[in-house]
Amino acid sequence: MTDRTPGAAPQSDTRMRLTVLGGYLGSGKTTWLRHQLHVGAFGRVHVVVNEAAETPVDDALLGRAEGITLLAGGCCCCVGRPALIAALRDLCDARSRLSAADDRLDRIVLETSGLADPGAIVAAIQTDPVLINHIVVDETVVTVDAIHALAQLAGEPLGRRQIEAADRLVLTKVDAVDPVTLDTLRATLKVLNPGAVVAASVRGEGLALPPLPPGTAPAPLPPVAEDARGPITPTRLHIDPGIDWSAFTLWLSALLYARGDDLVRVKGVVRTPAGRLLIQTVRRVVQSPEILPEVPPEQGDMREDDTIVFIGRGYRPEDLGRSLRHFTGRTS
Amino acid sequence: MCNACGNPAAPGHWTEAGAATPGDRLRARFHRAALLNRVLKPYGLMAHDDGVVPGIQIGTLSGARVIVDHLDHVWAECDRLLGHPVDPLDPRFLGDAAPSTHD
Repeated sequence: MTDRTPGAAPQSDTRMRLTVLGGYLGSGKTTWLRHQLHVGAFGRVHVVVNEAAETPVDDALLGRAEGITLLAGGCCCCVGRPALIAALRDLCDARSRLSAADDRLDRIVLETSGLADPGAIVAAIQTDPVLINHIVVDETVVTVDAIHALAQLAGEPLGRRQIEAADRLVLTKVDAVDPVTLDTLRATLKVLNPGAVVAASVRGEGLALPPLPPGTAPAPLPPVAEDARGPITPTRLHIDPGIDWSAFTLWLSALLYARGDDLVRVKGVVRTPAGRLLIQTVRRVVQSPEILPEVPPEQGDMREDDTIVFIGRGYRPEDLGRSLRHFTGRTS
Repeated sequence: MCNACGNPAAPGHWTEAGAATPGDRLRARFHRAALLNRVLKPYGLMAHDDGVVPGIQIGTLSGARVIVDHLDHVWAECDRLLGHPVDPLDPRFLGDAAPSTHD
């Protein structure tokens, strides 16, 4: 599925890793998480569960974690944000009191409510002056209900935002839909977020997906209310090998500042003197670049070197390449 | 983090990830300042990084100067000084690597 198992994460910095688990209401977040905890996929992990409703129900199911914090009564991407920040700070405090030689927490998994926008949560964590020193947002996993997702994506801006924010999409309930529907859904997800790794699961257990038949048509995505400036489209930008990293970051940081509201996601691998760097952003927030192992993983095109996917709207796709060439070309 | 001045406020900005050794980092800072100057000059702004003072200094032609932490703040500061952001998709940046002649 992915090479980013907890042990493989670069441990040169000792900050805690954070996995954001999102997905629409009833899309199978807790089921998936419970199975991952059962098989020990996350190591020493603390689970933070956010319920938008006042009645917590899911916490009884997650017994395998080191600890559980429940944030009930407010979605943590908006009204419940202070409670989330406080809970995460408490975890950082508790961990900081232990020496590095002790069995400390490796990871936090934040299960968001079904109404949360994972991008907003990542932004909140990365702009907090305490949390940024203790927590690295490692991966955003979004569960996608194979039965209902197509209907949700057709009309729900939130459903689309969740898909766009994901690093890994986990299709759930795949045993309950016919293969044609599943293929259409996979093609649709590829339109919304071509950079994400797609995996499948049934009741939390991983399932191998056959290759997507070429030419599978995605479902039509009619513009929803907030898409007034045109549809969100992906653009794949090949960058020159041996690109000037300073010029590239100058360009990308300016682009994100000026166009961050339009660029919902940027993701790709750039080869630099320091190694292969995985860059990913959600709107204006850039996650700490991760140095990838030199040998490209077998799963192929997801991690193609020197290719960056831009997902956004409000600009002409060809302008990205022209502008980048202008920024880097003047230096040669 | 320094207890007196609070610098750096956050560990390593993402734009500094491409350099691994202290020497590389210093070279990258000088190089970045030179690149930044070329971009900002048509706007009547300049960038300065002497490798000693932390952060990047942004100046105007009238001599006003401000120190910012990293590139994100550079663009925010330019936005404040100019009244609009420096947009890489502005037509002036879409030519084929020819320096713009107009302002």
